[in-house]
Amino acid sequence: MLDVALVSLIQDMSEKAGVEGTIQYWERVGESLAMRMGKEAYMGWPSFNVALREGRTAYSIEGDVTPLTDLAITDVDGDVVGYIYALKTCVFEPTMQRVRYSVGDIPRADAAVAEEYNNSVRDTAICNFCVIHQKFREEVAKNITIADQPLECVQLADRGFKGETKIARDSLKRIGINPEYVRSLLRNYACVFAILMKGARLRGEEEVEE
Amino acid sequence: MIGEEEKIKEYEIKENPLVDVAAYLFLEDIADKQGAAGMNNYLISLATSLAKSMPEEEYKTWDDFVESLERGESIISTFESVTAKTKHCMVTQKCPFERGWKEYTKRIGDFARVHKEVADYYNSTVKPGANDTQCIICQTFRAAAAERITVAKKRLKYAQVAAVAPDGSKKIAPDEWKPILLEKAGMSETDLNMTLRNNACVWILY
Repeated sequence: MLDVALVSLIQDMSEKAGVEGTIQYWERVGESLAMRMGKEAYMGWPSFNVALREGRTAYSIEGDVTPLTDLAITDVDGDVVGYIYALKTCVFEPTMQRVRYSVGDIPRADAAVAEEYNNSVRDTAICNFCVIHQKFREEVAKNITIADQPLECVQLADRGFKGETKIARDSLKRIGINPEYVRSLLRNYACVFAILMKGARLRGEEEVEE
Repeated sequence: MIGEEEKIKEYEIKENPLVDVAAYLFLEDIADKQGAAGMNNYLISLATSLAKSMPEEEYKTWDDFVESLERGESIISTFESVTAKTKHCMVTQKCPFERGWKEYTKRIGDFARVHKEVADYYNSTVKPGANDTQCIICQTFRAAAAERITVAKKRLKYAQVAAVAPDGSKKIAPDEWKPILLEKAGMSETDLNMTLRNNACVWILY
């Protein structure tokens, strides 16, 4: 009920605080949620990936997250420094469905907030709630270490409720993944992101520098 | 076909835990900035605006209305499964916020104290019926939704009798109001206490 109520307030919130204000609100919520969930430490990537599959990490709150272990991210030396992860169902899809059944239209401010986020922060949002959980993932990565190394989360691609997609080409280039491959992942997943060791020397970055 | 409808309803009810928990934290953020009064106003406006965004309803008879309510077709029963215990006494078996509360306590820890503090403010300034912020949303929504419904051309009215929060705490109408509410509900105090054993909320529509 609370989720549907919040959707019905987005228009009002955006009119009072502006779309920039709504973005700030949502980013603060994502940050605070990650902070309240606490820190985690894993011995290596296998233990992190198992924890994720078993729903034991902070990321599991989003739902069914699959570690795509065939898509390892390697650094310039060929060492594995991360993986690609995919979320089966958008976290807001049930809410959107409930709004459709109980209220009707999604408020116009939803698209306005996403558009402002895409212009001012990063071109990866499809709905206004993408702001919360993309920030949440970034902040959660800062609270997790694997083999004592801090992590970084990079948003790669997402598919919205109505089928629209966003693909972060620069981030894909950085980690050396073909955008068309990620596009094919969106056929079966709603959101694709990478978790990698912070500060890893990635091949894509080296190529850009050259 | 009925099975399909049930599947859709089931799907609708299961919101994502991230959305639920994020919504609670959003409200806590408001309480940090605007205090209990500010959060209380926000919750009331949130629930009222939600009810106002839903279509109005009219029923020819009380029986038509109750049937629609129990089938989950009325806006009042959009978020909760409602049973009519007597002609005017409605019962919600499971608090619509229970799942969100469980996700919060499982993943974050203790439910923040501010949710009770805001309820205290609401009980002393608006109406004494809330255990926590969740009750404020629910009860305000019911009252605002009732204003959008007519039965035999008469506007529907709502009154709260008792609520049990997911943590087990109870809030029953004040002693001076209880006899009137129970009479309207068509039940005794013993009936009420028995009903509260396995139900989350008791309220009346008239």
